Amino acid sequence: MLINVILLFLFAGVPYYVYFERTKKLEKEKILFLSIFLLVCGIVIASIFTHEASVPFVIIAFLSSLFSLYKANKTTNLYKLSYYVLFFNAPALIMFKSHQSVLYALSLLLTLFGLYFIAKYYERNYGSANYQSVSGITLVTPYAGLFLTIYLTTLALYPPFPNALLFLNGILSTQTDFMWYFVVIVIFFGNFLIAMKVMAKTVFGKPNENVHYIDLSNREKKLHLGIVIVLLLLSVVGLKELLT
Amino acid sequence: MSIQEKLNAIKDTVPHYWPIGAFIHHNPLKGFEHLNFKEALDKAQSIFGGKVYMDSDYYIALYHEGKIKSEQLEKNLLNSLKESSFEDYTNQAKTFMLEVSPLWNSLRNYEELKINVIDEALHTYLEEKSIYQNKEAWIEKLTKSMTLYEIHDALFDTTEKELIEKDIIEFIARFLDDAQTTLSMSDRELGMFNTFKLYEDINHTGDAESYVQEVLNKLKVIDIEKYFLTHILKLHGWAGFIKYRSEDENYYSQQQHPSSLMDYMAIRLHFELKYMKHEKINNFNTLQSYMQENSTYTILKLLQSKGKLTGAYNDAMEEHSDYERILAAYVTDEINLNSLQVQLAKNALPSLDMSLIEFSNFAQMLKKEEGFVWLKSLEDTYIINYVDEFTTPHSYDEKPIASAVFCLDVRSEVIRRKIESAGAYSTFGAGGFLGLPISFVEFDKPNTLSLAPAVIRPNNIVFEIPIEEHEEYNSKRGVTKTTKKVLSDLKNNPYTPYIMVEAIGWIFGIKLFGKTFFPKKTEKLFYSMKPKKPKTTYTLDKLTNSEIEKYVQKLHISIMNEVLVTQSDAIFNDAQITILWEHLVFDKKLGVKISTELLNKFKHAYHINAEDYQLQKEKLALVGFTPDEQVMYVENLLKMIGLVKDFPKFVTIVGHGSLSDNNPFESALDCGACGGSISLPNTRALCMIANKQEVRDALKAKDIVIPDNVKFMPALHTTTTDEITFYDTDGLSSEEATLFSQVQRDFKEASLHSREERVKVLPNANTPEDLFLKTMDWTEPRPEWGLAGNMGVFAGPRDSTRHITFNNRLFMHSYDWTIDNDNADILTRIFDGPLVVGEWINLEHYFSTVDNKVYGAGSKVYHNVVSKIGVYNGNYSDLKIGLPTQSVITEGEAYHEPVRLLTYMEAPLDTVAKAVENSIAKDFILNEWIRPIIIDKAAKKVYSYEYGEFIVIKELD
Repeated sequence: MLINVILLFLFAGVPYYVYFERTKKLEKEKILFLSIFLLVCGIVIASIFTHEASVPFVIIAFLSSLFSLYKANKTTNLYKLSYYVLFFNAPALIMFKSHQSVLYALSLLLTLFGLYFIAKYYERNYGSANYQSVSGITLVTPYAGLFLTIYLTTLALYPPFPNALLFLNGILSTQTDFMWYFVVIVIFFGNFLIAMKVMAKTVFGKPNENVHYIDLSNREKKLHLGIVIVLLLLSVVGLKELLT
Repeated sequence: MSIQEKLNAIKDTVPHYWPIGAFIHHNPLKGFEHLNFKEALDKAQSIFGGKVYMDSDYYIALYHEGKIKSEQLEKNLLNSLKESSFEDYTNQAKTFMLEVSPLWNSLRNYEELKINVIDEALHTYLEEKSIYQNKEAWIEKLTKSMTLYEIHDALFDTTEKELIEKDIIEFIARFLDDAQTTLSMSDRELGMFNTFKLYEDINHTGDAESYVQEVLNKLKVIDIEKYFLTHILKLHGWAGFIKYRSEDENYYSQQQHPSSLMDYMAIRLHFELKYMKHEKINNFNTLQSYMQENSTYTILKLLQSKGKLTGAYNDAMEEHSDYERILAAYVTDEINLNSLQVQLAKNALPSLDMSLIEFSNFAQMLKKEEGFVWLKSLEDTYIINYVDEFTTPHSYDEKPIASAVFCLDVRSEVIRRKIESAGAYSTFGAGGFLGLPISFVEFDKPNTLSLAPAVIRPNNIVFEIPIEEHEEYNSKRGVTKTTKKVLSDLKNNPYTPYIMVEAIGWIFGIKLFGKTFFPKKTEKLFYSMKPKKPKTTYTLDKLTNSEIEKYVQKLHISIMNEVLVTQSDAIFNDAQITILWEHLVFDKKLGVKISTELLNKFKHAYHINAEDYQLQKEKLALVGFTPDEQVMYVENLLKMIGLVKDFPKFVTIVGHGSLSDNNPFESALDCGACGGSISLPNTRALCMIANKQEVRDALKAKDIVIPDNVKFMPALHTTTTDEITFYDTDGLSSEEATLFSQVQRDFKEASLHSREERVKVLPNANTPEDLFLKTMDWTEPRPEWGLAGNMGVFAGPRDSTRHITFNNRLFMHSYDWTIDNDNADILTRIFDGPLVVGEWINLEHYFSTVDNKVYGAGSKVYHNVVSKIGVYNGNYSDLKIGLPTQSVITEGEAYHEPVRLLTYMEAPLDTVAKAVENSIAKDFILNEWIRPIIIDKAAKKVYSYEYGEFIVIKELD
C-alpha cells in the first residue's frame, strides 16, 4: 500500500505541478527537472520493491492524467508540455508491470530529454520555450524541424520508435479489464493528439516573418543525434521485449 | 450604391486567372495599372501584404557584382532624397543602403537592449508617433483585412476559418469542375448560386445579390465594399478564376454552368453566417462592443494570432490575466527596440550630423524608398549598357539564302544567333501568332483553340483536315481513346480505385517503372504505339453561301437520321427526311406523317429549327479567310517585321512549343502570344496563304513583290530541346528540296549549338543530350527555364542587336520604322499584341520572384490538379496563381532577375508617341509599368521615359 502511494506520487500520478505553478515557487524548467528526478526515483524504487498496481491508484492517476491532458492542450510552452506529458502518461506507468513500466518510463524520459533540449534551443533563440509564434520551422530550420519531428513522432507512439514498442509491450503484459481499456485508449490517443498539435503549430505551417529563425548549432546537432541513436537502441530493446 | 456596384468597385483588385490548360501569363496587379508603378506597388502591398521588391541583400550583391552602377544608384537616390529634403546626405544615405539596411531588422535585438541605454528624447518621440497610445486605431489596424470569423478565431481560439474555407473550396471546386471527376455535381446548369441553394438547402427566393444583402444585414457589416474586398482576398486565386469565366462569354464551361463573383460572395457569406450563428459573438455589433470593453485583451489576442507576440508574452498570457501589464510591457519593449534600432543604425554612420529624431525619419524614408531606388538603378544600368551596344554601328550585307521568322519569345534569341552564324541566314522576330488570330480546330479534336493573345478574340476559324487515307489512324485512335477514357474514369471515380488497384494496377506499373528507370526506351515504346497522324491541310478559304447551306443541312439531317434510328420506330427515306427538315427550318408544308411529339423533340431537344440553322450558318461563315483578309495578314506580317523586299529563296516561319511530362504548367512554356498553345497552326496557315499565287499578285499592288521562286516554309521550334522540325516540305520541287536540305542541316547544327549554350544554365543537366531527357522525365520540375530571365524587349531592325549575346533574356521584335505610316499603325499593332503579352509575362515573373507566396504558385512538389482548371496545395487550398518556385528560383536564390520590361524601340520619338497614344497599352506605358527607351537615330538621341517625361539619356554621334 505504502509503496503504491509513494509510486503514485513519484510516477507523477498526482498533479503536484499545480502547486508550483500557482505559487510560482519553481520555474517551469525546474518543475520539469523535479518531476523527472522523482520519476527516476520511482524507477529505482519500482525496480527494487515488487508491487501490484491497485485500481484506486490507477483511477487517481487517470484523473490526474486527464487534467494534464487538458493542460497540455492549453499550453504552448515546451517545458510545461514536457512535464504535462509525463503526468499524462502516469496511469500507464502505474498500471504496467514493474519491468515494462521501467522500460516505458526510460523511453519516455529520453524523449522528454530531447524535447527539453529543443525547448532550451527555443528559449535561447526565440526568448522563450513557447512555440506559439515560431511556426513552420521545418522549412527554415530543417535540423531543428527534423529532431523535433522525431521526438514528437516518438511521443505520438509511432513505431519503430521505442515509446510505441514499449507501450505495446506494457499493455500486452498487463491483465485486461475495463480500466485497462480506458487507460490504454486515452493514453494512446492523448499522446498522439498532444504531439500532433505541436507538430501542426510549430513544425509545419508558414514560417512567421516576425521571427528571426536560427537553426541548431553543431553541438546541438550532435547532442540530438546522440539522443536519437539511444532512442533507436531502445527500439531494439523494445522489439526484443515484444518478441519474447 | 447597390450591392452589385459595391462589388464591381473592388473586383479589379484581383486579376483574371485563366484555366491552367491554356496558361496565360498575366500581371497579378492588373487592376492597379491605372496608377503609377511605384504608387501601385505601395497600394498593393498594403492590400495583399508580402513584398513588392527584392530584399536589399539581393540588390547589394548585384551592386558588388557590378550589375548596378554606383552612379545610377546615386542618381536615383538623390531623386528620392530631394523629395524629402535630405539631398545633402547622399553619401550617408548610400552607406545606409549598402551597410546598415541589410542589418536593419537584426538591430531590434533583445540582447542588445540589455546593454544599451535608450535615448529618452527619441523614445518619447517614437512613442508619440506610434499607434500604441490609441487602442481603437490599433485594433482597427490589426483587424483591417480580417473577416468576422477570423477575428473570432483570434479572440476565442476557435477554428471557424478552417471549416468555412474548406466548405467554400469544396463547393466551388466541385461546381467549377471541368470534367476531372466522373461524378459531377448535379444541377449545375442552374448557375452557381441556384445550385448552391439546392446544395445547402437554402430557402431564399431572390437572386445572389439579394441573398448577399440579407446576410450582410444579419452580420451587421458596416463598410460593405471593404468587407467584399476582405472576403475576395481570402481566396483570391479562386476569385480571379470566377471573375475570368464570368467575364468571358465565350468560355464554354461558363455557358454551361454560369457563375459570377456575386454568386461566390453569396457562398462565402452563407458559410460565414452558418458557422458564426452558433457563436455568442456572431455579428459586427456584438463584436465591436466586446472589443471596446476588452480592448487590451483584444489587442493582445490579435497580436498573438498574427505571430507578433514573442514567447515571453505568450507565456505571460498563459500564466496570468493581468493583460494591461502584459500590453504595457509589450509596448515599452517595442518602442525600446525601435529606439535601439535607430540608435545602433546611427552609430554605424558616425559622420552623419543629425539628431537621433531626424535620423529616425531619415532612416524610415530610406527604408520606404530603397526597394524602388535599387530596382530603378538596376534597370538604368542595363539601359545604359545596352543602349551603348544597340547604337554601335554594325552592318550585314551578305544576301541570305533563307530567312527565319521566329516568335519574339526570349527563347528564340540563342537559336536565332546560332542560325545566323551557321551560314547565310537572316532572322526576324514577330509575335508568335504572327498577327494572324485564329480559332483552330485540330484534326480529330473536339475543342477549339484560340491562337491569339488573350486580349484578341479571333474572328476566323481554321479546321485541320486530313489529305491522305486515315482509316488505320482512326481505328487506332479510337482504341487508344476508349482505353484512356476507361482508365481515367476508373481512376477518378470515388469508388472504383479500391478494386482497380488490385485488378489492373500493374498496368500502370509498366509506365511507372519504365519512366523512372528507362525513360528513353519507355518513351520510344509508347511513341511507337501511338497512331501516326495523317498529313493534313487547313481550311483557309471562305465557304460560299451554297456550301454553307449544304453543310448545315447535312449536319441537321445527320442528327435527324440518328434520332430516328435510335429513338423512333418510324421509317423515313432520305427524301422524306429532307421534307421534314424543310418543314422544321423553313416552315414549309409538312408532307409526311410524323407524331407531334417527335416533331417537337426535333425542334426543341435537337435544335432542328430556323434559329439553329441561322446560328450554324453564322458559325460556318467564320471558317477561313476572304481573299482580302489573306492578303492583309501576309502584308501586315511582312511590314511588321520589315521584310518587304530582297526576299531570300526560303522564308521559314517558325512557331514554337514545349515538351515536358507530368507538368500541369506545360502550357506556360508554350507560346504566350497564342494563348498558351503551340503556335504551329498559325505558321502553317500563314505559309499556306503566303505561298498562294493570287495573294502574291495582290501584294504586288501593295509594293511587296515576292518572287515566284520564294517559298514560305512552316517549322516548329521545340524550346525544351531547341530542335526545329519543318512541315509541308512536300510542296518543294526536287531542286528546291535539295537546296532546302542544306538549310535543314544548318538549322540542325544551330540547334545543337543552342543546346550546348543553354545546358550551362540548366540545373541537373550536364550534356546537350540531357535536355531530351528532361522532356520525358516525369519527376522533372524544371524541363526548361522557359521565360525566366526575361528582361526587356527590342523593337527595331535585327542589325542593331545581331552582334549582342542576350542569353535568352530579350524579346526581339523586328520593326522598321521607315515602313510604318504617319499614324504609326505598325508600331501600334506591336504595342497592342506582343507588348501587352510581354508586359504580362514580365510582371508575372517579377512578382512571382519577389514574393512567390503571395503572387506565385509555391512549390510544384505540393501541387495537385483541381477541377482541371488549376493547381492547389494538398487537398484544399486557394487556387495557385502565378508561377511555381521552380520556374523562377533555384536553390533558394532568384534565377529570374526581377526588373520591369526594358522596352527599347528604334524609331523616331514622334512615331512612338503616336503609337502610345493609339495603343491599348497606353495606361501601363505612361504609368511606367514598363521602361520605354526610344533610340531615335534620325534625331540622334536616345530617350528614356521616366517620372512622367521623356529624358534624353544619350546623344548619338
